[in-house]
Amino acid sequence: MDTSSPAAFVNGGLLRMHVGRKVRTVIQVTRSDAGSVMGKSTDGCQLVVRGSPPAPLTSYVEVIGVAENENSIRAELWTNFGDSFDASNYDQLCQLANGELKHLFL
Amino acid sequence: MPVNLTRNAIAMMNSGDVNSKPLVQVVDIKLIGNSQERYRFLLSDSESTQHAMLATQLNEQVRTGRVKKGSIIQLIDYICSTVQNRRIIVVLNMETIIPEYEIIGNPKLPTGSEPEANKSMPNNNLLEPSTRSTNNRYSAPAPANKAQSFQPTIQPAYQPPPNYKIQGPIMKNEAPARIIPIAALNPYQGRWAIKARVTAKGDLRRYNNARGDGKVFSFDLLDSDGGEIRVTCFNAVVDRFYNVIEVGKVYLISKGSLKPAQKNFNHLKNEWEIFLESNSTVELCPDEDGSIPRQQFSFRPITEIESAENNFILDVIGIVISVNPSVPILRKNGMETQRRILNLKDASGKSVELTLWGDFCNKEGQKLQEMVDSGLFPVLAVKAGKVNDFNGKSIGTISSTQLFIDPDCPEAQGLRAWFESGGRNTASISISKELMPGGSKNEIRKTLTQIKDEGLGRSDKPDWVTAKATVVFIKTDNFCYTACPLMIGDRQCNKKVTQSGNKRWLCDRCNQEFEECDYRYLLQVQIQDHTGLTWVTAFQEAGEEILGCSAKEMYLLKYELQDDTRFGEIIRSRLFHQYLFRLKIKEELYGDEQRVKITVVKVDKVNYSAESRYLLDMVTKNFPNRKQF
Repeated sequence: MDTSSPAAFVNGGLLRMHVGRKVRTVIQVTRSDAGSVMGKSTDGCQLVVRGSPPAPLTSYVEVIGVAENENSIRAELWTNFGDSFDASNYDQLCQLANGELKHLFL
Repeated sequence: MPVNLTRNAIAMMNSGDVNSKPLVQVVDIKLIGNSQERYRFLLSDSESTQHAMLATQLNEQVRTGRVKKGSIIQLIDYICSTVQNRRIIVVLNMETIIPEYEIIGNPKLPTGSEPEANKSMPNNNLLEPSTRSTNNRYSAPAPANKAQSFQPTIQPAYQPPPNYKIQGPIMKNEAPARIIPIAALNPYQGRWAIKARVTAKGDLRRYNNARGDGKVFSFDLLDSDGGEIRVTCFNAVVDRFYNVIEVGKVYLISKGSLKPAQKNFNHLKNEWEIFLESNSTVELCPDEDGSIPRQQFSFRPITEIESAENNFILDVIGIVISVNPSVPILRKNGMETQRRILNLKDASGKSVELTLWGDFCNKEGQKLQEMVDSGLFPVLAVKAGKVNDFNGKSIGTISSTQLFIDPDCPEAQGLRAWFESGGRNTASISISKELMPGGSKNEIRKTLTQIKDEGLGRSDKPDWVTAKATVVFIKTDNFCYTACPLMIGDRQCNKKVTQSGNKRWLCDRCNQEFEECDYRYLLQVQIQDHTGLTWVTAFQEAGEEILGCSAKEMYLLKYELQDDTRFGEIIRSRLFHQYLFRLKIKEELYGDEQRVKITVVKVDKVNYSAESRYLLDMVTKNFPNRKQF
């Protein structure tokens, strides 16, 4: 398993802490264009993900890429997460991964 | 016409032959006994004579003159026994062949009026004590009875009955015995008398054993101190008392023998049982004795029955909430009987299933059905019901059970009051179904090593926990059993059935045979989590969830189609799936050792969303400053 460049679990609010670094998050797709996707993060923020999304795209998608700024990510890897997803669990995970349990992640 | 009596009939009878049905002549008939009408015949076979007592059921024949002095009779049923060196014969059934006939031959008559001697005369003639001093002790002796007492009479004419017997092993005091409480009775008591009410009267039963035919009946007594005891009579004693004893009446009883109670049949709280004999006395007390209750119960609340042992006998009272129709059941001896299932509810918040057998179905069962059908909820009191632990705990009737509909007792009144003021609408939990306490709200989650470390299952109630684990091994030998498909009420019997020749199956519980049996899982599975692994047993529903197909399909695949390849594929495909197992943990005795047995009660697929929440909760709950997410 390649652990050389780990991606930090982020939601909308935590993205700004990792600008310029590799991040991963799950968004609920609201709009999908040729070169970018707009979606809602698990804590309700609007995020823009640039890149080539897979076709077809399910409601929820995980993106791994580099944080451009506090509300946009340049995606390298897209994974369809299906049409039902528990956003609150994921959100809690993000908070733990950046808070008390940070030492377990990065 | 010349009549030939059976040669040597007397000698044959005296040597114990009870099967010959000889033809004999009645040489003499004497009325014996002052409180009971007993006849004593002198029978002759034309050469020898022998005294024989007539069983009371035949008294009519003497009274109407169907048999008289000189009659030629055939002895059909009679018993011979020896008591203190004398032959006693009792005629139980006979037929008069010729009502009048001159004395045949020259039968040797017994010598009369001699003191009671123990030496046997050449022809075993019974000595004829002249019978002035008669009382009930002179009645027909029961064959097995050793406490025979014959009055010694020395003078022929009127003599007041001697109060002291000089013959026999014991000196008997004839003064009437004191009335003592039933609870004080014991075999070493000496003279005793009890005054008690009959609470139950058993049926007259005939039996046949190595010693021949016999009959027996029992009745139960209750006295004013609440003491209870069973009284049993055999053979000739049955004749004396069967029609005298009536349920509900009070009697003064004395001179019976005390023996240990037969706990298999006698469920009264007394270690002794009374056996009445020929010298026993039973006197009806006509004046109503209000100090003696009609019936004594010790009711247990239904909730206590839950922890009662299998086969325990107890009393219970409850409101009848449902009555099922009677169904015929084939018993082991080939006889058909009826069975009905009812449900009783009481103020403990629990309900219990009551099974009525035989006559109870048609009598009390039918009445209860009619009452419930017309919207009533009667109170039913059960005396001496038996606990059955096949499925939860239920109660069944036995031969000595008594049922009382709407009895007039304080407990019934209390129950009725509770029912009318809200008890009617409170839901009650049945103890007759295997209970799984705790819904999803109070599930206790454990890891597999915690089961052993915390000693789960060792208390007297089983422990119910949930564990998340993965199936790692499924035992393929004996993975299912042949089950009874018949319905009992609203659920399937499911007891293991045995083959009864030519492709038929027999269920012991339902007592029925059928062609097709059901197949149900009895899986031994090994499950593992991050802490360890353990063996568990999974029954039908859990088995189907784990294997993903029915036991019948797997059975056919393995044993009928013998497709081991496909069978093995299915098994392998079901390994390494993770589930949430609801487990029932209980320590049980296997031979000599205590082993913890874990049964899978329910198998649920892991719901990732819910499980994640659970895990997140577990992670965060121990943080010092718990953040609100």
